[in-house]
Amino acid sequence: MAASKEKHAKQSCVIPGGFTVLCLKFKSDSPTHHQLIVKEHRVRAEKSTQRPLNRTLFVLNIPPYCSQNVLKELFSRFGPVQSVELCEKPGASESTEPKLSKYFTPAEKEGFKVGYVVFKNASSVTAAASHPHDEPLIVCTEERPVRTGVQKWIHQYTHSFIPPDQLQEAVDSFMNDYDKRKEEEEERQKREAEEQAEDEEGWIKVTKGAKGAKARPHSEAANQRTLQKESKKKRRKELLNFYSWQHKNTQKQHIAELRKKFEEDKQKIALLRAQRKFRPY
Amino acid sequence: MKRKNSPLPEDLENEMEESGSSQDEGEEEVEKDRETEEENGKKRKRSKKTVTPVDSEDGVLRPIKLTRGELYRPPTVEELNQLKEAESLFHCSLLKMQMEELLKEVALSERRKKLVDSFVLQITDVLHSVPHSPVVELTDLSWLTDVQVPFLLVPKAVKGKFHMEPPASVTLVGSYPLGTCIKPRVTVDLAVTIPSAILHPMDAINQRYPRKRALYLAGLAQHLLSSPAVGTLRFSCLHGNRLRPLLLVTPPGKDSSSVTLRIHAIPPPDFLKPSRFHPQKNNIRKEWFTGMEEPEKETSETPTPHYNSTVLGDHLPQAHLQFLSAVRDQCPAFKDGVALLKVWLRQRELDQGTGCFSGFLASMLLAYLLSTHRVGKSMNAYQLLRNALHFLASTDLTENGITLAKDPDSKAPSVAEFQAAFQVVFVDPSGHLNMCADMTACTYKQIQHEASLSLQFWDDPTLNGFQALLMTPKPLIRTYDNIFQLSGLVNLQASCKKLKLLGELMDHSGNYVVTVLPFLLSLLQRGLGERICLLTHSLPPDPEWPVDSEPPKHKDQAPLSFGLLLTPEHAHSVLERGPPADSPQAAEFRQLWGSRSELRRFQDGAITEAVLWSGVTACQRRLVPLQIITHLLQLHADIPESCVRFIGGEVDDVIRVGREAPSTGEEESLKVVQCYDDLSRKLWQLEDLPLSVTAVQGAHPALRYTQVFPPVPLKLDYSFFGREKTSRALVPQQGKPCPVYITPIKVICHVEGSGKWPHDKQAIRHIKAAFHIRLAELLSSQHKYTCKASPTHLDVWKDGVAFRIQVAYHREPQVLRESVTAEGMLIHRDNPEARALELETQHRTHLTSTLHGLQQQYPCFGAVCRLAKRWLAAQLFSADIGQDAADILVASLFLQPAPYTPPSSPQVGLLRFLFLLSSFDWKNNPLVVNLGNKLTAADYTEIKNNFAASRDSLPIMFIATPNDSKVSMWTREAPSVQMLQRIVMVAAESLRVLEAQLMDPSQTQDVRVAFRPPLDMYDVLIHLNSKQVPLIGKAVDRPRATFYQGIKEGTVASSGGALPVIDYDPVKQYLTELRDAFGELALFFYDPYGGSVIAVLWKPKAFEPKPFKTSLINARSVKVTDAEVSTVPNIEAILEDFCIIGEGLVKKVEPRTEKWVV
Repeated sequence: MAASKEKHAKQSCVIPGGFTVLCLKFKSDSPTHHQLIVKEHRVRAEKSTQRPLNRTLFVLNIPPYCSQNVLKELFSRFGPVQSVELCEKPGASESTEPKLSKYFTPAEKEGFKVGYVVFKNASSVTAAASHPHDEPLIVCTEERPVRTGVQKWIHQYTHSFIPPDQLQEAVDSFMNDYDKRKEEEEERQKREAEEQAEDEEGWIKVTKGAKGAKARPHSEAANQRTLQKESKKKRRKELLNFYSWQHKNTQKQHIAELRKKFEEDKQKIALLRAQRKFRPY
Repeated sequence: MKRKNSPLPEDLENEMEESGSSQDEGEEEVEKDRETEEENGKKRKRSKKTVTPVDSEDGVLRPIKLTRGELYRPPTVEELNQLKEAESLFHCSLLKMQMEELLKEVALSERRKKLVDSFVLQITDVLHSVPHSPVVELTDLSWLTDVQVPFLLVPKAVKGKFHMEPPASVTLVGSYPLGTCIKPRVTVDLAVTIPSAILHPMDAINQRYPRKRALYLAGLAQHLLSSPAVGTLRFSCLHGNRLRPLLLVTPPGKDSSSVTLRIHAIPPPDFLKPSRFHPQKNNIRKEWFTGMEEPEKETSETPTPHYNSTVLGDHLPQAHLQFLSAVRDQCPAFKDGVALLKVWLRQRELDQGTGCFSGFLASMLLAYLLSTHRVGKSMNAYQLLRNALHFLASTDLTENGITLAKDPDSKAPSVAEFQAAFQVVFVDPSGHLNMCADMTACTYKQIQHEASLSLQFWDDPTLNGFQALLMTPKPLIRTYDNIFQLSGLVNLQASCKKLKLLGELMDHSGNYVVTVLPFLLSLLQRGLGERICLLTHSLPPDPEWPVDSEPPKHKDQAPLSFGLLLTPEHAHSVLERGPPADSPQAAEFRQLWGSRSELRRFQDGAITEAVLWSGVTACQRRLVPLQIITHLLQLHADIPESCVRFIGGEVDDVIRVGREAPSTGEEESLKVVQCYDDLSRKLWQLEDLPLSVTAVQGAHPALRYTQVFPPVPLKLDYSFFGREKTSRALVPQQGKPCPVYITPIKVICHVEGSGKWPHDKQAIRHIKAAFHIRLAELLSSQHKYTCKASPTHLDVWKDGVAFRIQVAYHREPQVLRESVTAEGMLIHRDNPEARALELETQHRTHLTSTLHGLQQQYPCFGAVCRLAKRWLAAQLFSADIGQDAADILVASLFLQPAPYTPPSSPQVGLLRFLFLLSSFDWKNNPLVVNLGNKLTAADYTEIKNNFAASRDSLPIMFIATPNDSKVSMWTREAPSVQMLQRIVMVAAESLRVLEAQLMDPSQTQDVRVAFRPPLDMYDVLIHLNSKQVPLIGKAVDRPRATFYQGIKEGTVASSGGALPVIDYDPVKQYLTELRDAFGELALFFYDPYGGSVIAVLWKPKAFEPKPFKTSLINARSVKVTDAEVSTVPNIEAILEDFCIIGEGLVKKVEPRTEKWVV
């Protein structure tokens, strides 16, 4: 693959590891540029439908001002883009939790990001990976201005207002959903409990059951409490200062403590002396 | 990229660790002689080796480990005794060892003693070879060629003859032969007896003897000048008494700083009869002193007790030495006891100058205690010091003088007679001399105050008594709440006239400063009354001058400083209520206050004399003592206002708010708190909520009076803003300057727990949002407040102030911590999310209410917090020491003031805050702040043990409070070791500059110097467009041109109106984005109160090339060398990003490329 690009008229910059370096400028007249590093997305284990193999481009080092939309437009020069996903770190997408409404999704960090661009056609991926290095991608153009700085913050502030009814609606729909899930869960537990109950002939059906399916999970705190109770009981049964050797031991212990304290103090003093902490002025 | 010169941050860590040792080496060189006591040195080395070879290297305490054998071996009797003594006599062996170490530090080394002895021998030889000179008139000074007489010859004419002759004897007197001489400033007293041929029995009269003494010293100086054994020769005088000049001699060459020889000239022992110097006798004739013939001769001349004691004092040094030597021989710990007492006095600046409590007095005091059996002969130094302080604290020498004379002869004056002539009385063994003749009553009161204060904290097991007692210096400026200085001392001559003090002036031989001082003090004491609990003054320092120049005049000395210790409840009241108009005291009151006194009728119907001072705001009222002082001094002592320099309100400027009356935010804070109280009441009373409100708590500095610039009620100009489409709320407009910043004041609203709450974190969030919506509906329908609900909080616009209400459910942190393992076990694991929530809803609210209580107890707590935080912010440290941590630090100044008293003025509070930051040993000690007095001594020990056991995993700045004894939650994230190191450095420097500025009358007052950060250490400066900095008006150096921020004058409506722009600060947004994007590469520093520069510091390790990794590529560029791919930060692009991200806000990015290269 690298060899084929060597023949390209305008050379693309490929580095070991199969990554291609693209040049990204904020404006066409910007004096400096960032390096977008792209590669075809290829992971053995991934089964995600969101990132289909051979149509997904893996993009690194995306500056904070490139939003999903900007990125979509930038890469549409290589072919129609189906979707763009941005995350903070490379890795599997982690949307296992129930979908939250936009008001409740936590704000993302505005740092450099990693992107997965899914093209409609597989050929776009190769086109992007062989894009010449000296033709920069431009983020902010006349027809597609990107808001940054004060403009952006005013925009953000203006759009931070949520109409109460919409918010209420989002809350209600989530709670309905939650209640439904809760009910289902209860139903399931009830069913399992029924299954474990005795049948008419006194037999209990023992099943493995799903993980964490028990009605009430035993907790760590409860475990500890039992342990503590036991050790307390043990201690109560012990006799103190009963035998003469025990008495002697207590005395010995006292002297040992004094000694230890003395040594500690000596150490403190030595340390302070080393730091010249005893010169009053 | 590399750094050009060795930069700060990367070496800081090493520096911090090495600082101990490298500093040591430097000092070792300077003070070679200090450490030459071989024996001592060896012992030290040995102890280091045996105890802990590790800890002295890295300077950190480690838990000690002893083997079983060491711990449980059978004890010897000796060891048992030693351990027992340490346990019973001292708190612990630590204090004993500390005292021993201190004594070792101040004791003179053998080498130094040898040097002194040989030098004394040399000088004695030279002195004995003084040539005879012809007899001349006393006024004829022509025989003195190279030196001036160390005496102010006023009046000039005096009868008598003088000639030089070798001294009758030269002997050592004072502390050196006694063995109580300590470092630093080693002075050895050498008494030179004037031969009796020079003196005449009538010389005691009219300063003839003191002048002969001065001439004799001048003669000795002239002779010594030619000797090669002499380094420098200067004149001085004993405790500032101009009648007792001294000749200071130092050895030549490099030893010059190791010892100073003070040569006293004394008369032969039996030269004059002590009975002639009875305090009621006169020895200076008015006729001679004024130079005027008085027509009718007065029958009796005024007594001259001070002059008498001066002359008499010269007769006795040898007798005193004998007496003290006898005492020393009886009591083995006498020397060490005196040494400790001297250190104690020196730390309190009481041991030098006119009217001081000198080391000689300290020895005499211990001798007195021994002779009266108040201390035993076998006591150790620690007990001697303790008993001495106890005696000082409990005995008032201004009322009941004490005497050392066992059986005084019949002619000796009685203590009552001494008491009548002097303010403080301590009679020497001969029974004729009052050793405290020059001491003012105020100075003694100060000693008493210090002694009782020391005893108070000595026994307190919760603090480091040793540190506070003997190691912490207490300079005037840091000790007293208010200071004022009298400059232009020449004006005091006029005061002498005004107060009719001719007799006293004669007694003090023309020293008008010393003459008038007691009268000024008693005047001020009367005038300030119960406003102050202590009035003290600086002791005028002993002048020193070269032998070939005239002695300095009285007016040339440094300005007199007075310190006031205020009583917080009375100090700043504007009303001075006097006696009823018809009572006999009324005349006295009128006499004291002059024209300011007027008759007033009070609400209770009484008509009394009263004085009303001006002052509306707390900031103005703090200047009431100044008004009183200037008024009284002008009225009674003719001292013009221009001579009085009051140091008490200079730094207030940097936290000044208020548009009409100058204020430092007390009134504004109070208003905010009242407004909050109203809101919380209304929240409580809301009905129709699904669950009831159980508590409303503030979680914002403004609600505990410590917000640097408390929110001020605002009225907004709607035309300045844009409007949001649906809610019609105000929004900032593009192209206009940034609107005024409105701080949202955080209020936590706890809602009752109930089974209805879901047990799921997302569900709880949604329920809380529903609560916010409901609260908003109710508040706007029932009270007409404008509200804005959002999922995380609810903003309420009320009385021109914005509150941000957040609903809290007390079990939420627990829910956040819960998780279920694969085995189905329910476990609790701490996580940042839960911690942050707990901090916000539980700890911060608790802290807020605790500190609110502290403010009620100490009225200036809030102001000190605000000043301290202003300083931190101005020095760009506000991100490192947060608001809460700073408030707790300040609280510790009030709760644990030893060795001071709790500060009663913002300024002294700031100074002590800086001192705490810079002097506390953060590495080895936890700072325990006993908020609400909930910790016991046992808790302290536990905290310390925990701290020592897990030092490495704890934050470098460890602050423990009753609620938080293990983790130091407020300083968990910051500061880092390096930043703390820098904070300590800057604090020390600021303290130095600030104190110098405040104390030095000649410098132009600019205390803001301490609030301007040094910017030269930073790598990039981002200059901001001041129009987009909302708090620019609060900057340390306020800009001349301000711009319109959408505020109108006028009364503020209590409810309704459009929702203003709340919490919109472009700079804050910018900083968050910068830290998000480049936090791994650089640190960003900013002054949130109107700073117009963001300082950037590259992290030292960020610029090393790293191998290519997909997880480490942000903002970097790739470099290919051979088959290796490495990445380095794309510095040019980053600098451009600074501009892009801050479009419209950033004016200029200034890379300081002189410090680094790409």
